[in-house]
Amino acid sequence: MTSTSSSAWARVQDSPWFWLLPAGLFLLVFYTWPLLDVVRLSFTNASLVAPDYDYTFDSYRRVLRDPSTLRTLKVTFLFAGGSVILKLVLGMALALAIDAGVKRGLHGIVLVRTSVLAAWVIPGVVVGVLWKILLSTSSHGLLNYWIQAAFGNSVGFLTDPDIALSTAILANVWRGVAFTMILLYAGLQRIPPELYEAARVDGAGAIARFRFVTLPTLAPVIFIALVLITIGGINTFDLIMALTEGGPARATEVVGLRVYQQVFQFMNLGRGAALAVLLLAVNLLMTLIYLRLLRINRKTD
Amino acid sequence: MTHANVEIGSAGGRRLANTGLYAIYAVAVLFTLFPILAVVMLSMKQPSEVFSWPPTFLPATLNLDTYIYVLTETTIGRMLWNSVFLTACSTAGCIAISAPAAYAFSRLKFRAQKPLLLILLVYQMISSMVIALPLYRYFEALGLLDSHMGVILVYITVEIPFTVWLLKGFFDAIPPSLDEAARIDGASRLQVLRIVILPLAKPGLAAALIFNVIAGWSQFIIPFILIQRAEMLPISIGVLNFAPGQTEGEITIPYLAAASIIAMLPALTMFVLLQRYIVQALTGGAVKG
Repeated sequence: MTSTSSSAWARVQDSPWFWLLPAGLFLLVFYTWPLLDVVRLSFTNASLVAPDYDYTFDSYRRVLRDPSTLRTLKVTFLFAGGSVILKLVLGMALALAIDAGVKRGLHGIVLVRTSVLAAWVIPGVVVGVLWKILLSTSSHGLLNYWIQAAFGNSVGFLTDPDIALSTAILANVWRGVAFTMILLYAGLQRIPPELYEAARVDGAGAIARFRFVTLPTLAPVIFIALVLITIGGINTFDLIMALTEGGPARATEVVGLRVYQQVFQFMNLGRGAALAVLLLAVNLLMTLIYLRLLRINRKTD
Repeated sequence: MTHANVEIGSAGGRRLANTGLYAIYAVAVLFTLFPILAVVMLSMKQPSEVFSWPPTFLPATLNLDTYIYVLTETTIGRMLWNSVFLTACSTAGCIAISAPAAYAFSRLKFRAQKPLLLILLVYQMISSMVIALPLYRYFEALGLLDSHMGVILVYITVEIPFTVWLLKGFFDAIPPSLDEAARIDGASRLQVLRIVILPLAKPGLAAALIFNVIAGWSQFIIPFILIQRAEMLPISIGVLNFAPGQTEGEITIPYLAAASIIAMLPALTMFVLLQRYIVQALTGGAVKG
């Protein structure tokens, strides 16, 4: 290689685009383009099977007028909200317990952490299947047999429309509580020990220290966990598909399931796309909040 | 308040608090492991045991017949292989494509840097369902439905944003003075990445590897929509409506249980072996963003 060609090659390497090109191409072709296209499709009456379509606001009009859209949104937010509250409370309890255990030199912490995190590694579909088997009202349903032995009647975890959503939340919390725990635990490590010392000198007990030192210092991390869990909850599809398929009586039908149904069962691409844009809008809104929180975090750091 | 002081002060109080903590640990471990263990036990039951009342936690005999049956007589083996193939190819591809991008974000200064990083973050938050709808149309038109190649390209794409952020965080932690020393010795930027940065960022590469494997193994929406032929499906979809042979209803339960355990085992094993890298990555980078 001559020196001029090698210096040209070095100059190419000084350009950021040389490094960003492969990733950029993938994202443009398989992400940005489909994203724009789904917005375009939402303004059409396209069907999955017929090639021709017209541009119209009809898909949005129908989606927004359809009472089941509102129900789906409600189910989605209840699912995400319930998951958020439980994951935060249980994740916080676990993070505090592990933090305290580490400080006291207790045994078995790694075992606890590993087993809780293990649930997070299992594919969502498999989580759904596990809980479906476990909570079944059939003769193999172990939990229901025990409940029946203790309280006299079994619980329709998956068959009762009033309970099914709570069941889905339970399975989702089982899967994801470890992630919240790890986020909060990392946050706990960054609280200066002097703050606790000062509070202790002032005579603050354990609860007062948690209330006046831990919570306020940890607040930014808690909010970030909150947004991340909410987005995860809103986007859930696999777990519910395996657990309830959106039933019974559509009690667990989250937005993702409804989009899938509109497009791949009713072949209604336009309306499915409009619903998908609704989902996209919620995703973007949550991301905006997340970014705002990150900025506040960086300022206080 | 005096209560808390007693707790810290006396040895008895400390022992009480420790016992309380161990109790919390026990509940947490039980809550996590019980569903898995119950399904493992169920997977070892004979089909006839499923009808017996009352149901028992332990199977009558410990045998692996259901596993042997599921692996040899059903399509699960094939699906397992599909998952391994899709996960391996997409993980390798994603890291190979994300590492140079992470280098640029970490070491070069350019005007679009911040906006591009933000776009990556936004993409990470969007449900795959949104892009899967148009992709289905393109793939159908191109005859790419049911092709592993097409699915791998999409897997790679959806994992790029997180992988770039993750690797950038690890690259940032390597002192730039090291690259400069290598550059003075005449190394090109590509050589710097290969000789200096990548070897030092091994924990980051390990974390990227694990996250990609876990994500690839769990991918659902994309293969669910883009693959229809049963023999091409990954195992994450295979377990959804798993029913072996001519069996129906209750009888399928031990087989379904075995299939679920088989489906989670590879990701679980990998996680247990390499979990310290996951914890390191999660506690180090995820919150700071």
